[in-house]
Amino acid sequence: MTTTPPSEHDIHAYVDGHLDGTARNEVERYLARHPERAGEVQHWRQDAKQLRTLLAGDLASSSETDPARIREGSRRRRLKRFAIAAAVLLSLSLGGVGGWAARGLGAGTQAPMADAIQAYRLLAQDHALGMDITTGNEGDLRAWLAGRLGPAARLPDLTDAGFRPMGGRLFATDQGPAAMILYDDGNGRMVSFYVRPPGVARHLLPRGTREDEGLLADYWSDGSHNYAVVAVADDAGREAARRMLRGAI
Amino acid sequence: MPDPTIDEALRTMLPRLRRFALWLARDEHAADDLVQSTVERALTKWQSRREQESLRAWLFSILYRLFLDGKRRAGLYARLLGALAREDEPTWPSAERVAEANATLEAFASLPVEQRSILLWITVEGMSYQEVADILAIPIGTVMSRLSRARRALRLLSDGPHASPALRLLK
Repeated sequence: MTTTPPSEHDIHAYVDGHLDGTARNEVERYLARHPERAGEVQHWRQDAKQLRTLLAGDLASSSETDPARIREGSRRRRLKRFAIAAAVLLSLSLGGVGGWAARGLGAGTQAPMADAIQAYRLLAQDHALGMDITTGNEGDLRAWLAGRLGPAARLPDLTDAGFRPMGGRLFATDQGPAAMILYDDGNGRMVSFYVRPPGVARHLLPRGTREDEGLLADYWSDGSHNYAVVAVADDAGREAARRMLRGAI
Repeated sequence: MPDPTIDEALRTMLPRLRRFALWLARDEHAADDLVQSTVERALTKWQSRREQESLRAWLFSILYRLFLDGKRRAGLYARLLGALAREDEPTWPSAERVAEANATLEAFASLPVEQRSILLWITVEGMSYQEVADILAIPIGTVMSRLSRARRALRLLSDGPHASPALRLLK
């Protein structure tokens, strides 16, 4: 007996409980034969259920937003308030995003520059995130980096070493804003240059190398920032990282 | 002439709008301002609303656009990042909420705005795919693929970062 995979629409409709009778049975029959897909779908259902439960408590309203009151309110005052809100949003969109979200994640001891490795994983391997800036111009990236981390965050000249810049992305860390610049090593492999302030504790790193689940990180510090070069831990990646380090330090 | 039925219809939606605003802005004052501006706009534009369009989708879409506009304006000052990122603390959720927060909530909070919105609309609000397509002004097929991406991202983030350092996605 053959089964055609259900459409993406049907899979989601199944997760969200929009399917009835026959359609639901069909999806279930398919999932029974495809355990790996079934696992994912099961996780999606759990996530959806959890979100519903967790967000159920956030339902409340403020009397200030009551329509009758808003009809009476002064328009000018509201506009002013919205300008303030925009300023608050600014701080949130820039710094606050993970402000509380990751608080629970930071506990425990951390391997050096583990954030650089995770950034590489998210951007270069999983493609879970987009870039904040996409450009092949190293000068633009240098200006972008200086504008966000300050002039002391140094982006070396790596085009001379054969690297082609692709773009960059900012991350918030407990030590302050960090940035990752992705390069093509000239042979289609991606190597990242990551820079992060040392934080208020001024935790500067000695020069070192380590590997973590198939990725390697070379790290060092220049006295004002911590840096890492991350690549895939194979021969070609090692060679590219060495080449980038020569250009960077 | 104020119409009490309009006010009543809006009033029933306020808690949902505010919850959405909180999860967008993650600041109670900003969320209230967003809801307030949404209601204000809804009142002035009530006549132009299409009859068959769901009120819920219409209001969510107004709020979503107001938020994106605010963010865009905020982006003009992006170079202030260095100072702001260190000093500003979001005022929501509260400390108690943080204590109870789990991996799913943390992951949800760190998703990009659009993915967070899509998941909230579909899984929490129970909106139809068509309503979401209307809000985002995209075909329904695109909603499906973005929903897949959002669900995978949520999974990845709630599975992933436990053993990992405090790396956060800046949006």
